[in-house]
Amino acid sequence: MIAEEATLARLMTAAQKGDKAAYNVLLSEVSMWLERYFRKRVPASQQDDLVQDVLMAVHHKRATYDATRPFLPWLAAIARYRWVDHLRKVYKHESDMLEDNDASVDSDEDVVEARVSLERLFVHLPEAQVEAIELVKIDGHSIREASEMTGQSESLVKVNIHRGLKKLAAIVEKAE
Amino acid sequence: MNKNRDNLIAGLTEELAPVRSFQRRDGMALVAVAALVTLAGILVIEGLWVGAFQGEAAPFFWVTNGLLLLLGMASAGAVIAMASPGVGNRHDAPKWSSAMIGVLPLAALISVVSHGGEMTGFNDPYALHCFAASLMAATVTGGALTMWLRRGAPVSHEAAGWFTGIAAGALGTLLYGLSCPVDSVMHLGIWHVAPVAVAAIIGRLVVPRLIAW
Repeated sequence: MIAEEATLARLMTAAQKGDKAAYNVLLSEVSMWLERYFRKRVPASQQDDLVQDVLMAVHHKRATYDATRPFLPWLAAIARYRWVDHLRKVYKHESDMLEDNDASVDSDEDVVEARVSLERLFVHLPEAQVEAIELVKIDGHSIREASEMTGQSESLVKVNIHRGLKKLAAIVEKAE
Repeated sequence: MNKNRDNLIAGLTEELAPVRSFQRRDGMALVAVAALVTLAGILVIEGLWVGAFQGEAAPFFWVTNGLLLLLGMASAGAVIAMASPGVGNRHDAPKWSSAMIGVLPLAALISVVSHGGEMTGFNDPYALHCFAASLMAATVTGGALTMWLRRGAPVSHEAAGWFTGIAAGALGTLLYGLSCPVDSVMHLGIWHVAPVAVAAIIGRLVVPRLIAW
């Protein structure tokens, strides 16, 4: 874990100086890291779009990485930010069910790291908001289905999603 | 990895150009320049209250402006740091500093009430001018900090909006305050603090939509 952090930080510092070879390796590594990071929190069919979205953000905002600080917290903040933004936009409710693809997991430690990283955001939300966001925004159920499954009224599901996403956006950096 | 992503990575790699990494000292320099521009404007339009530097100012004048300076620096520092995101970052200094500045209006009210005086602070002929001029003075620092955030990658937009408003309001009021010879507790405690609160609200309402990325 420490070696990964140090390697990524070194590659990023080189990339900021214009080293294309280092940058290519960095983006490939970041791409794989993001896949693991989003695995449990984004439907498989949307993962690639989100990973590409974050890669673009990393590219455009690469100057904001401070070489004196760790790389992964910087990357995770950008990934969380784009993820919350993604949750706000996504409103599908048919075939985008989250798939259980543990078979392709690289290591248990990485899975724990990835889950905990995004799970930490949810820890700060009331259970009803987590439930509403998970069912509608992540699992892809409709508001009505989520209402039936949770016992919350449809209005309450909407309110919980709205408030939950607002809270998530506010704690992108804080929740660790 | 799929072909689309490979192509994207190849494309991004191809267009890579060296960048200057965000440095906090650059942000501090930007705020310093904004403060100097503001001060120059105040010198030209209002002129400094020279008497303050010749021992004529009440101690409360220096206490108020000292607290505004601390609040402005703490908030500006937080905004500068917010341009470079990171999980685990904390930006608590402006919150404590804001609570600290809240003591001033409270002290003003208690002081007047406990002395059995009238609430003349609300009937202050200089109040509106100080209030408006402080807000005007805040615009330069506010603009500079917003520009800094737009270049950066802030991920906490609401907090960034609050802190930008507080920093701009505090530094603007401080700099304008150097020209204001009214040094009563009531005047300083109310009319040199209210602009900070209003600037904070303006920052919260305006800045987030300007820094989204």
